Amino acid sequence: MAAAGEKLELCKTADVDEGSAIKVEKNGLELAVFNLNGAFYVMDDVCSHGPGSLSEGFISGDTIECDFHNGVFNIKTGEIVEPPCMIPQKTYKTFVENDKVFIET
Amino acid sequence: MTKITIPAANISFDVGEGDTIARAAARAGLGFPYECNVGECGNCRFELLEGEVTYLRENPPAVNDRDVQRKRYLGCQALPHGECQIKVPLRDHYKSKFIPLRTKGKLVEMIDITHDIREFRFALEKPVGFLAGQYGLISVPGVNGARAYSMCNVTSSGEQWHFQIKRVPNGKATSGLFDSVKVGDSVGLDGPYGMAYLREDAPRDILCLAGGSGLSPMISISRAAAASASLQGQHIHFIYGGRAPRDICGEQMLKELQGFGSRIHYHPAISMPDDPAAAGWTGHTGFVHDIAEKLFGDKLANMEVYFAGPPPMAQAVMKMLIKAKVPATQMHFDQFY
Repeated sequence: MAAAGEKLELCKTADVDEGSAIKVEKNGLELAVFNLNGAFYVMDDVCSHGPGSLSEGFISGDTIECDFHNGVFNIKTGEIVEPPCMIPQKTYKTFVENDKVFIET
Repeated sequence: MTKITIPAANISFDVGEGDTIARAAARAGLGFPYECNVGECGNCRFELLEGEVTYLRENPPAVNDRDVQRKRYLGCQALPHGECQIKVPLRDHYKSKFIPLRTKGKLVEMIDITHDIREFRFALEKPVGFLAGQYGLISVPGVNGARAYSMCNVTSSGEQWHFQIKRVPNGKATSGLFDSVKVGDSVGLDGPYGMAYLREDAPRDILCLAGGSGLSPMISISRAAAASASLQGQHIHFIYGGRAPRDICGEQMLKELQGFGSRIHYHPAISMPDDPAAAGWTGHTGFVHDIAEKLFGDKLANMEVYFAGPPPMAQAVMKMLIKAKVPATQMHFDQFY
């Protein structure tokens, strides 16, 4: 695992189409990388509620619907928008440098 | 015997006659995600890449339109017809310490606990151990489909599995168990399953919250925690909720444990105190989640919390625990909804 506050490169910006998400596994983390209108957001890929993979969910505006149990999270904040999920999803501070997506771990 | 392959993980396993894909994966020692095992929670979804499957339970409730569109099936109910290739994310924490086994259990004893909860004790044809808090699938003769019930005893040999089960009004499986199965009769047993088992490596006070048949796994957890060498310094709080005094139980079993009254504490609660039947009640009044919040408040975040009961109770407990900032890693329950 990376030390706290460490910068972690996840992927190239071109790897994630606008309005979609990909799953990235790095340093023992399973992450969903979202591209919303050219801005990048990262959260844990495994839903806080079950084994659903959020990168395979349905994006609508700023929200992601897990396609396992239809729980909905805010992509930018990880907050719950629709149940049955009750635990907010962990999000990461995300930034782009030289066409690459990074998070602070 | 049918072969299932997970190409992405380069893994194959066999599924025995009449067995389902997720259960066979657990028998092969794989971490195939699941939770309820009866087609209701949807955690065992996988994608069928090649091959054909049908369902053990007709129209399992967790299946939705998207599953059909995306060729996704529920592993716990999927019966393969010929070799299949599937996509599923295996995860270590779903691996079973005791490999689940399909066997038979002979009813050796029944003990009435309340007006509608009875303990059923089965002797296993092929003994298999389990972790405190886990469940088994019982197939009652003449009743279609297996039901999940948690064990209440603690055993290393696994020769007997004991279940405290609440009768469900008009429920086919519990009616079969309560009214038809006699001492000496056998039922189908499959298990152990479940992730809501006692964490002996968690050095925190323990809170068990139970209602209805949730008594069974919480009694098992309490018994194992009372005997666990690594948990000797920890307190065990047990809150049991029911509507009326006649629903309340559990104290007798806890009283038999060493440390009752000093480090093991029982807190009964009824939710209908205005009912005439509640006259003379001296315990708590309210729902278990409210009682837990009232009794422990800020301390909850530093407790290891186990809970089991009817879905509305489990939902209310979880909501309360999240509000109390209990980390998800300290909450243990199996979802049956």
